This record gives sequence, structure tokens and C-alpha cells, in this order.
Amino acid sequence: MVALGALFQLSVLTFVPGSLKTGGLTDANFRAVLAPQYLRYIWDTIVLSALTTILTLLASYPVAYALARTPSARVRSLILVLTLAPFFTGAIVRTYAWMLVLGQSFIKWPVKLLFEPEGVLIGLVHFSMPTMILILAAAISHIDPVYERAAASLGARPSRVFLRVTLPLSLPGIVSGSLVVFAWTFSAFPTPELLGGGRVKMIANVVKDLALDSFNWPGSGAFAVVALVVTLLVLAVTSRMLGREAAADGHRPA
Amino acid sequence: MNTTVVALEGVSKRYGAVQALDAVDLAVYEGEMLSLLGPSGCGKTTTLNVIAGFVEPEEGRVLLDGDDVTRQPAWRRGLGVVFQSYALFPHMSVADNVAFGLRERGVPRADVAARVREALTLVRLPEAGPLRPSQLSGGMQQRVALARALVIRPRVLLLDEPLAALDRKLREEMRAELKDIQREVGITTVFVTHDQHEALGLSDRVAVMNAGRIEQLGSPREVYEQPATRFVADFIGASTVLEGRVVDARTVVLAGGQRVEVHLPRVLSAGATVRLVVRPERVAVGGGAGGAANVLRARIASVMFLGDHSELRLDLDGGGRLLATVSGPALFQPGDAATISVPPDAFLEVPTTASL
Amino acid sequence: MIARAVVVLLLAFMTLPTVVVVVASVNPTEMLAFPPSGFSLRWYEHALTYPQFRRAAVNSVIVTAASAALALPIGTAAALALVRHPLRLRGFWTAVLLSPLVVPGVAAGLGLLILAARLGLLANHAVLIAAHVILVLPFVIRSVMVSVANLDPMLERAAASLGARPWRVFRMVTLPLLRPGLFAALLFAIIVSVNEFVVSLFVSTRVTEILPVAMFTYVVNYTDPTMAAVSTLFIGATFVVVFAADRLLHLSRVFQIDTHR
Repeated sequence: MVALGALFQLSVLTFVPGSLKTGGLTDANFRAVLAPQYLRYIWDTIVLSALTTILTLLASYPVAYALARTPSARVRSLILVLTLAPFFTGAIVRTYAWMLVLGQSFIKWPVKLLFEPEGVLIGLVHFSMPTMILILAAAISHIDPVYERAAASLGARPSRVFLRVTLPLSLPGIVSGSLVVFAWTFSAFPTPELLGGGRVKMIANVVKDLALDSFNWPGSGAFAVVALVVTLLVLAVTSRMLGREAAADGHRPA
Repeated sequence: MNTTVVALEGVSKRYGAVQALDAVDLAVYEGEMLSLLGPSGCGKTTTLNVIAGFVEPEEGRVLLDGDDVTRQPAWRRGLGVVFQSYALFPHMSVADNVAFGLRERGVPRADVAARVREALTLVRLPEAGPLRPSQLSGGMQQRVALARALVIRPRVLLLDEPLAALDRKLREEMRAELKDIQREVGITTVFVTHDQHEALGLSDRVAVMNAGRIEQLGSPREVYEQPATRFVADFIGASTVLEGRVVDARTVVLAGGQRVEVHLPRVLSAGATVRLVVRPERVAVGGGAGGAANVLRARIASVMFLGDHSELRLDLDGGGRLLATVSGPALFQPGDAATISVPPDAFLEVPTTASL
Repeated sequence: MIARAVVVLLLAFMTLPTVVVVVASVNPTEMLAFPPSGFSLRWYEHALTYPQFRRAAVNSVIVTAASAALALPIGTAAALALVRHPLRLRGFWTAVLLSPLVVPGVAAGLGLLILAARLGLLANHAVLIAAHVILVLPFVIRSVMVSVANLDPMLERAAASLGARPWRVFRMVTLPLLRPGLFAALLFAIIVSVNEFVVSLFVSTRVTEILPVAMFTYVVNYTDPTMAAVSTLFIGATFVVVFAADRLLHLSRVFQIDTHR
């Protein structure tokens, strides 16, 4: 909390090049965020986050459904461990692994992926999937199967049961999972840093460049504040929506 | 004379907007078994928690043998409590559970072992000591909980719905056993239940509670036969309430127009409205209406066969509905006309103004 | 059938990088090749003898042990207070204590860097440990809170009614029953701290840096498979821990995935 206070304070102070000392009060740091060369990074960040969210959702739903509804406890346990292992492996190891996969030495990709936005996107989706799967699986598993049985007894074939009952009832999980993934991706650092190779930059990479390479802490602080505000806003929306959705029918309290 | 062991004086407790206890006064006498009976949310468990020291009242005093213990924490009060969920410590053996209170009191090791054995024998589980609570059936866990509470030789035994978690057959067995053990130990006992059979069958006195107040306190026969309020009449035993208008001291015209003779302790004044309660087992259905009792005409609305008896709903001619029980299967069909008779002393009066 | 194939493919996608890293780690040549041209443990040897990795590993042990040792009692006290006591501003305190979960790593890292510079504590283990305690606390608090919420308060009342004073109730009943939650909290604390990277990058130096930071620096500067060897060791350790955790703690309960059967 105190650290964040210091961050806010610094982000409105003037940067004196070549020094960690700061000058007077200014909004120059925030105006710099809107300068064309930086605005591009923010736009890239938004696009990458949005694409990551959509692709993660599509890739995670089947796994989450299997995790929630597979009858065999052993298969469920296997899926859970496979889901969680990358979650616990740490960002660096995971990202490094993708550098190997996306580089041309293992698999001869028809197009260049490493150090390109596409490669960063693949890495971000992989990074977000465990989170999304866990949130979706929790939501799906809280749907009482009695609704699905009721739909089937009324003549709905399995695909209709899924579309008309399961999917709508898992909507709270879809919404919260998507918002959480968007918020996290928005401030992602290691994945774009390593897979982007300096050619693809997201907002967190700019924060690091300015802070640790140029020692422009105030300028860096302004970007960090932007990342922080966007993340907190999106998560605030999430919890607000969840508070309302919690009362939705078909969901037992967790 | 009766010695008062536990006394509550004007005890009130509020949870947010809910008045859980509203100026409750209660005296529990030496050696008696007193039950707190009422629907959920009536304040009976709060009353028990106030006595045990788990809940501190906002107003009023709690006395134990005449000493004010209102602000005394539970662990100093020396009362035995049996919880609805039993609350046996899952990480300890049965013997360690029973020994817990003795060890907290610094009882010497050798005495602990002897008293644990004695307590487990009292509840007919002498061999259960080394087992874990989870290895026991519900009824056995219930006995261990009782042994754990009794072994510290508490001044008062407090039981919170002790039989509620058991299935029906076991509950009836344990009910008898609980009564035996209580009599054997002779301990003053306060007992919370929502089950009227439990309350009537086990206790010396029953306090019927509703909305944070004690509606009636009396012997099981008193609360059954002379309910002080309509709530008590409704809650204890099935009953029917009929409205009527007083004609003279012994005659009432029911709302449906039929005339009945009543024997009420109060002197009725003509023209007043009364509410009369009739217990279903006092209503005789069919047979010759030869006696002097009130004979009423009715139609059978429904018949429910319940094994040893049947329950009939009767629509009185002109209006009003009456419940009746007959032993064994009933020889009626819905829609049949029937004559019924109700002896004059079967009518009880409840106040027209009090609670509902 | 199709659905099952899709799930298997997606799980393969999730596992693919791990497999590639393991294969790469035993590759004998410096240039990565697939399929590998042989089998060699030379990169493991190099990883285990590389001085900066050794120093960073020692730092990791120090920082993780210290932060777990601090976060566990603090987090337990906080969890008990948050669940049990009708604190005023309970929502506020919960939000503050759990906020490190949602604050972006770069924002927290930069904030702590600025703060540490002001206090003159740069190049000090203390800052790193403090940062890790803050980051680990939400996980500790959450996992202990679950245990506290599952603890039947009647057990503590029962102990009190049998004459146990508050401290004895805590010692004899509360603490033993919270043990699974405390164990899970410890596990989370270790996993989070060992893997923490972004904040550590900001507040550590070449001398105090922990393993993930050293690994990051290595990847940026070198391309040989030493990193694959280190990663494989990391992945192996993680798999063992997660498998053990699933056995001991039934992770599906921790993540609230219930089954209807």
C-alpha cells in the first residue's frame, strides 16, 4: 500500500535525466504516455489482451467442462494435475519453453512466430489457460446436473442441452474468467518480454524499460499507474457483476 | 421447597434486526428436567447459549446458585453441554474426548482413567475408549458426547437438540435412555427441542417459546391440556380452533350456527366472542349419538390412514372445520355425512387477542 | 468422440512446452535439434556448476524460507481475525490483505523499488523478503480462511464448556484442526515465493537475485540448453509437489470444483 502510494507520487514528478532525483510537480509523464510512439504500445496491449481473452476462453471451455463433468475420478485428477502443473511451474520456465517451441529448431513453422505478435499471443493464451480453466470448471461444476437431466427428459438432445442449459448457466464463470484473464494479460510482463524479443512490447515491458534501463522512474511510474488503474477497474467490474450473478438461479453458493 | 439452580432475569439479546430474546425470565429447579420447546428461531437455543456462557445478553442477569455469572466466560461456569452436532473433537480418541474436561481441571492421571471408564460405562460404551469419534454411529457419538459432559460432574446439564440428528427409531430408543441416565445421575437438566413428543415425554416442566418470549411454562399436562395462548395450542398437539358467540354461561353458538355446551373455568358473558380449541382425540365420530354430549352434523372432507390411527378432516354443517382421530382404519369415504360428538369439557378456551 | 479428441489436443497444447524443454535438456549439442541427436547430461552439469545459478539458488532458499516463516503466522492471525471477529471495516481489511493478488507485478515492483530507494534499502535481502511476504500473504490467508470457515465453532464451545481457557482451546482444538489448512498455506507460500519473478526483478540486484531472475537474465543473454536443464529440474520438482498436494489436500476441493454424485 505504501509502495503504491510512492508510485503514485513519483508518477507526477518531473524526470531529471541521468539522476534518480526528481523535479517539481508535472503531468508530463502522463502526457508522454499519450505520445504516438507509446500510444502504439498501449493499443498493442489492448488488442493482444482482447485476443488472448477470446482464444483462452475458447480453448479452456472444453477442458473445464471435462474437468467438471468427467465421471472417472482418476481422469479428473489427471486433467487437474495437467492443468495446474504449468500454473505452478513459474513464468520464466513456461516462457522459455515457448521460446524453444516457437523457434525454428524444433518445429519448422511455415511462418515466423518467435519475436512476432502471433508468438506472444500463443504464449499469453497458454499462460492464461489454467486460470480460465479453474474458474470455468468451478462455475460448471456448481450447475446442478438436475437441470441438464430435466432438459433431456423434455426432449433436448445433448447439443441442445449444452446450448440451452449448461452454457447459459455457466455464464457467470465465462464473464468472470474473461475479465480476470483480460486484466492479468493487460499487465503481463515475462511473456511479451521474452517471446516479443523487444519487437513486441506491452505496457509492462515499457514500465521495465523505463525503470530499469533508462532509470526514468517517474515516466515508468506513469505507465505502471495506467496498468494498475486498468487492471483494478476491470477487476472491480468483475466483482460487481459477480455480486449480482451470485443470486442467479441454478448456482449453489460455493 | 424447590431450590433454584439457574435463573434468568429479564434477559434480552438482539441479532441485528432480530430480537432473539425479549426480557426472558426463567428459573430452573434442582434436579428437574426442563425443556425449552418451540419452532426454529424462537430463541430456545439462544437461551441455552446464554446459560452456557457462549452468548452474552445485552440486558438482564444470569444467576447460577444465586451468583451473578452474566459476565463469566463459559470455561469458568462448570456446566456440561451436549451439542446438536455432538462436537466431538475429531482429532482425539473417544477416551481423550471424555478426558478433555478432566485434564483441563488438572485431575490426576490415574483418576482421569478411572472416571473416563466410569463415564463410558454409564452410557453403555465401556469398550469405545480407543476408537475415533468418526468410527462410531450417530447414536454412539451421542452417548460419548453425554459422557464427556457428565464426567466433569457439571452443576447443570445443557442439551441442545441432542436427538435431532438421529433417525426416528434410534431417537425413540435414546429418548428413553436419556431419561434413565438423567434420573440415575439426578442432574438438573435444561433441554432444547423443537419436537413436542420429546419435550412432553422427557421433561418435568416445559417452557414453550415463541419470538423470543416464553409463552407458557408448566408441566407437560398443563401445557397440553390448558394451553395459555393460541400459539401453544397450535404448537403442541394437533388441534382445531373454532370461533363462537356466547349465548349463556354454558352455551356457545359456533360460527357455522350449531350450538354446543361447554364447561370452561371462566364465566362467560353473553354476546362475547370466544375461541375454542378442540383436541382431535376428543372428537368421537359416528356411532350412536345417544349420549348427552354435543352432537354435531358434519361431512367427511378427507381421510388419512396412519397405521394405528386415522386422521379425519370434517366440515361442520354451516361452516367450520374440525380435526378428529379414530383408532385403526376409518370406515368413511370423503363426502360421507357423519354425526360427531364432543364432550363439553373437551372445549378449551384460548384468548382472542393474544398472539394471532 | 470428437469432444474427447478436442480435450486431449488442448491438454497436449498445455503440456507441449514442458515436453519440449525436457527433450531439449538432454540434447548433446549447443544448437537445439529435433529429434535430438543423442543423449547427454552435460547441460545439467553446467547448470549445477554455473556460479550465478548457485548463488541465486541459495538466495531463493533464504528468501522463500524467511518469507514463509513470516507469512504463515501473520496470515493465520489475519485469517482468524477476518473470519471470526466482527471487525469494523472487515471488507476493507480483506481487500487490503488480498490486494497483492490483483496489483500488476510491474506496478508493485516499481512501487517497492521506489520505496526501497527512499529508505536506502536497495541491495538488501530485507526488501526482497518483505516483498515476498506481501505477495505470499493472500495465498496463506485464503487457504487458512477456508480451514477456519470449515472449523465447527461448536468444537471450540465444547472445549470451553469443559473448562478450557481461551489459550488452551486454541492449543488443543483450533490449531490441530487447522493443520491441513496451514500445510496447504505453507505449500502455496513456497510455490509462490520460489516462482515469483516480476517483483523480484525490480527489487533485487545481481547479489541478491533469486533463481527465476537469474534464469531470466541467462535466457536474455545465452541460447544454449543450460536453461532447459534448469527448467526441467524446476518442472520435476513442481510435479512432485503438485502430485503430493493432490494426494494430501484434494486440490479439487481447494479450487471448489465439486462433483454431483
